[in-house]
Amino acid sequence: MVVISLSEITHRVGNTQIIDDVSVRFSPGAFNVILGPNGAGKTTLLKIATGLLRPTAGDVRYDDAPLSHIAPSRLAKQRAVLSQTVDLAFALSVRDVALMGRYPYYGRVPATTDLAIVDRALELVGLSNKRDQAYPTLSAGEKQKTQLARVLAQIWNYDDAGEHRYLFLDEPTSSLDLHYQMQILDLARGLLRHNCTVIAILHDLNVASEYGNHFIVLDQGRVAAEVDDADHLSVDLIDRVFRVRSYRVPDSVKGLAVWRFR
Amino acid sequence: MLRRLSYGHIYLALLCLLAVALVASAGVGAISYSPHRMYQLLFEATRADTLDRNIFIQLRLPRALLAALTGAVLGVSGTLMQGLFRNPIVEPGLVGTSAGAALGAALVFVFGSHFAFAFAGPVMAFIGGFVATVLVYRLSTAFGKVNVLTLLLAGIAVNAVSAAGTGFLSYIARDPQARNITFWNLGTFTTADWGGAILVAIAFAGCYLWSRRYGKALNALMLGEDEAAYLGIDPRTLVVRLLIVNTLMVAVATALVGVIAFVGLIVPHILRLIRSADYVFLIPASALLGALFMTCVDIVARVIVRPAELPIGIITAIVGAPVFLSILLHQRGRLGAWS
Repeated sequence: MVVISLSEITHRVGNTQIIDDVSVRFSPGAFNVILGPNGAGKTTLLKIATGLLRPTAGDVRYDDAPLSHIAPSRLAKQRAVLSQTVDLAFALSVRDVALMGRYPYYGRVPATTDLAIVDRALELVGLSNKRDQAYPTLSAGEKQKTQLARVLAQIWNYDDAGEHRYLFLDEPTSSLDLHYQMQILDLARGLLRHNCTVIAILHDLNVASEYGNHFIVLDQGRVAAEVDDADHLSVDLIDRVFRVRSYRVPDSVKGLAVWRFR
Repeated sequence: MLRRLSYGHIYLALLCLLAVALVASAGVGAISYSPHRMYQLLFEATRADTLDRNIFIQLRLPRALLAALTGAVLGVSGTLMQGLFRNPIVEPGLVGTSAGAALGAALVFVFGSHFAFAFAGPVMAFIGGFVATVLVYRLSTAFGKVNVLTLLLAGIAVNAVSAAGTGFLSYIARDPQARNITFWNLGTFTTADWGGAILVAIAFAGCYLWSRRYGKALNALMLGEDEAAYLGIDPRTLVVRLLIVNTLMVAVATALVGVIAFVGLIVPHILRLIRSADYVFLIPASALLGALFMTCVDIVARVIVRPAELPIGIITAIVGAPVFLSILLHQRGRLGAWS
């Protein structure tokens, strides 16, 4: 099974140790969640896993191939990254932005399939009616949905059942209201059925336990815990890592435990 | 309305307008030629036409072509630089490319005997333009982001130093063209000949074909360096290649016609307003609109104070400076602050 594995990753910037001997595997076909307080090294770890940063030491492998041996153009077809917010200084249309997701696939002129995929992606995020609107005039939620459409188009895999794909989310919903937050995470979860693995940095513990099924807790550049079941995230661990006083109460509707704080 | 047109239709419309403008440009001057007369001079010239034929072929045609090509160079350059700096106020006149290139070319004019290699003027112009542009780029960019205030200030400083150097050189120069400070600061096509037009044509053709492949990459760069990298584009390689290709064509044009500001600013701005900010569209369209714009400016320069003519830069500044200010005000309104 295809998998991303990071082994003995260490990353330093100057004298600051940001990642300290981290080894993790992102479970294939799972909704992997990276949790941790600010400054724990979550974003750095994500940048290392996506190939944006080369770690000071350690080894990143995509299905046994060292990441450094995968050509950027090929990597761009295997994994996509949705960041927090993306603003544009120039007025491209929604469709132009989403079409960027297909850039790794075509030369000068997009093929019919590229355009069809972009249209499907925009339909999926519910922006078909705004495809000609200028990106800077959108609301924050619509902007993020446009970016999601772009990222979906980049790793589009529905019909061909081709290579396994990875979707990375770096706090994708931190500036969005509940409606958009859930819509974006639901769409990401939907990808799991389509030969895709999701790796997300999330801040809200309750949202994380709702969507995730593999959890990596980072603290001060180290792995504090790695569990498959949200119930195994202990109150002790959360209290220690996030410096809070927490407890859990059962949710009578879904049966999940809900995190509360004193 | 124009927003509904396909890119191809806009290229075609610009091409037709450019053809008309070129014919007008070749006809207008101290002596005017009608299109019919031009045809006669080119294909059915008699002995009585020798003088007119010489004026038309040796002066008018190369001048019309040089103006159009220079416009195309500056238009594409403005587009590429705006993409690179991710800012619509950038153009070769602002980021020091033109002024640095002029300084390099002026060195050759003044100390010509020390530069005994082929194309010394354009080569030194390239070096000057490249150093100036890289300096401004490095000064204004930190952590993958461009700071507009630093960009403006760095541009002012680098332009001032280059202009001072060029001014000094023109003061000590013997060559009459190098002595002409307006040539360096405001640009002129009066010295146009076939050699110059062909040189700029070659530089433009090569650089244009090279730059066309970066349309998608420049679009992706709009999202930010990280996002571009996730799409398989290496931002650092892109920056270096764009700086080289841009400086190359601006240097050749500047060595021949001097510094002409604001064309690279106006052209992409108009194209964004009428159609799209998509670089795949902007690169070819800014070549065409740049050529069209410069041809019209050159016509105005020759007609308005006939039989004398205005330096090109005066007209481009009259049109361009208000556009620059309006973009700047718009940016300030949108970003709140520049830092």
